[in-house]
Amino acid sequence: MREAMKKINLSYIISLALSIFVALIIGALIMLINGKSPFIGYSALFSGAFGSKYNLATTFAKTVPLVLTGLGTAISFRSGIFNIGGEGQLYLGAFAAAYIGITFTSLPFFIGIPLAIIFGALVGGLYAFLPGILKVKYKIDEVITTIMLNTVAVLFTSFLVNYPFATTQGKMNGTEIIAQSYHLRRLVKLSTLNTSIFFMSFIAIVIYYLMEKTSIGYDFKMVGQNRMFARYGGINDKKQMLIAMVISGALCGMAGVFEVLGVHYRFLQSISPGYAWDGMLASLMAKNNPVGVVLMAIFLGALKTGSVSMENATSIPSELVMVIQAIIVLFIAGEAGFKDKFVLLNIKRKSKKAGETNA
Amino acid sequence: MLKEIFNLTLLQHTIRTATPIILAALGGLLTQHTGMLNIGMEGMILLGAFFGVLGSYFFGSSLMGVLLASLVGVIIGLIFAIFVVELKSDEFIVAIAINMFASGLTVFLLRSIFGVKGAFSSPDIVPLPRVNFSFLENVNFLDKIFNNHSIFVYISWILVALIYIYLYKTPQGIWLRASGEYPEALLTAGVSAKKMKYKSSIYCGVLCGFAGAHLSLGYLTLFSENMSANRGFIAVAAIIFGKANPIMTFIAALMFGFFDALGIRLQVVGVPSQFTQMIPYIATIVALFIVTNRQLQKHKKSKGERELA
Repeated sequence: MREAMKKINLSYIISLALSIFVALIIGALIMLINGKSPFIGYSALFSGAFGSKYNLATTFAKTVPLVLTGLGTAISFRSGIFNIGGEGQLYLGAFAAAYIGITFTSLPFFIGIPLAIIFGALVGGLYAFLPGILKVKYKIDEVITTIMLNTVAVLFTSFLVNYPFATTQGKMNGTEIIAQSYHLRRLVKLSTLNTSIFFMSFIAIVIYYLMEKTSIGYDFKMVGQNRMFARYGGINDKKQMLIAMVISGALCGMAGVFEVLGVHYRFLQSISPGYAWDGMLASLMAKNNPVGVVLMAIFLGALKTGSVSMENATSIPSELVMVIQAIIVLFIAGEAGFKDKFVLLNIKRKSKKAGETNA
Repeated sequence: MLKEIFNLTLLQHTIRTATPIILAALGGLLTQHTGMLNIGMEGMILLGAFFGVLGSYFFGSSLMGVLLASLVGVIIGLIFAIFVVELKSDEFIVAIAINMFASGLTVFLLRSIFGVKGAFSSPDIVPLPRVNFSFLENVNFLDKIFNNHSIFVYISWILVALIYIYLYKTPQGIWLRASGEYPEALLTAGVSAKKMKYKSSIYCGVLCGFAGAHLSLGYLTLFSENMSANRGFIAVAAIIFGKANPIMTFIAALMFGFFDALGIRLQVVGVPSQFTQMIPYIATIVALFIVTNRQLQKHKKSKGERELA
């Protein structure tokens, strides 16, 4: 979506719905080929995501990292700088929070928790600053650098939890458990839903205001849509891109923080199953619109949660959902192109008709 | 301890671990020349690895495995080209979709066809043949380093030469390079840049299919979830490092293979391997920095000279 950064309009919502619909149909076909009923499969998926208090809570628990990484992606994409490094920023942010939680064990919760969140955001933001400065100062493609930095972060934290910070309680590729005062309270029995959803909601509202209601947000949009024009309008485009990148990294870092404080209570070597990628998907689907990102994050969270129930009910492997997601991404990537082709086809047909009537 | 790390086995491992990177990078440099950077190689390798095992297992022939892996490579390469060339989609987003699709589909099929989670191995998977040159057997170190590798190791070296000749010595290769650099010039020559882009993407798919088949039928004889393990990204790194020149890219891939092998050896003696594993990624960023910095300096210099004049 680097070129086509159009606003969401009715025609886009129709294309998005169509993309999701076609992807679900393909999913249904795959189920049929496997000799399973798509009807049973999808109803199990739906009730698995929304059917009970526990399921609903699990869906929302999954939504927390997706909203944060999704908004992080959205803010960078909208400013015309493409942070694909959310996964790495998430890992470092998560480790940073765990570090605070195992080091300053005697801090009361009202100091410790904000400290962990801020430190995680800071580390994530700094890690995004690096590809940001390389982009604006040296014109090095940030997509490549952020992809490379993802792996560097995953490997670095893997080193940390296997050597200097390895837990002494058995071999589990994780740090020690963070102090009790850092644990965010669980909200629904058995589910991992915790108070981080309130933090997330607060952050989402702030980001919404920043992106939609402030002059900074307007500058981001200007830079993203037309750098030259923004520059002539007196906006320091390089500075704006850097700021957007750092905020983006901070949001992804915070996604990691809440996984540690609310879900695992320690840093684990593979703490994220690709949250930042799903967050990016939410942002792509919503065309970087903050409200849309939240809605799409809930949708994707529901798909992920429901897929587990689908697997239990019908023994259709839950990875089917990943295939469906990939098809949605592909359709959205091709959306503008499909439309252009369609318009062209229509013009051709019309001009052909006009030619015929003239003759 | 040094003797334990730096020995012939290290070189032998280097050759083994570099091969899938070489194969994929050769494919990726072709699309790079047509102006498309393909991050989707990661997923293409993974699909190749899975369908290689599938073909070999069901047909009882490693050749069928390679064929099936290449066929899937052709299809994915075609999809990539249709979206990027025809629909003008963002190449990175299409590539990310391919990677997501590959890791979802392979695990899905692993579980629904073979009914296993994690990895599938079976005595019915026929591995690729190993090659032994009898004239090398007499010299111990040559025998150890160059003999008894899986066939794709040697094929990859031949391909380096072939692709070099193709790119720089044949009209087709010149067209292919021109389609990225001077598409208008190509048009005046009566050649479609689009067609060359399609071609490069399909070649890339086949070569990534080879890389995958080598992983699951040559390097190992099994399929495991996400077994491509970032090799597609390291291939991208090798292309950038080697400036998309087949020989330079080959050297970069060998170098990254060396660090990978070194990491494995280091782990054996209890040294963390994470840092050696990081090298390709950091090296890429450093290489990009050096290359673009030089260009910027040049630009500044020429601008300064012009101003002086």
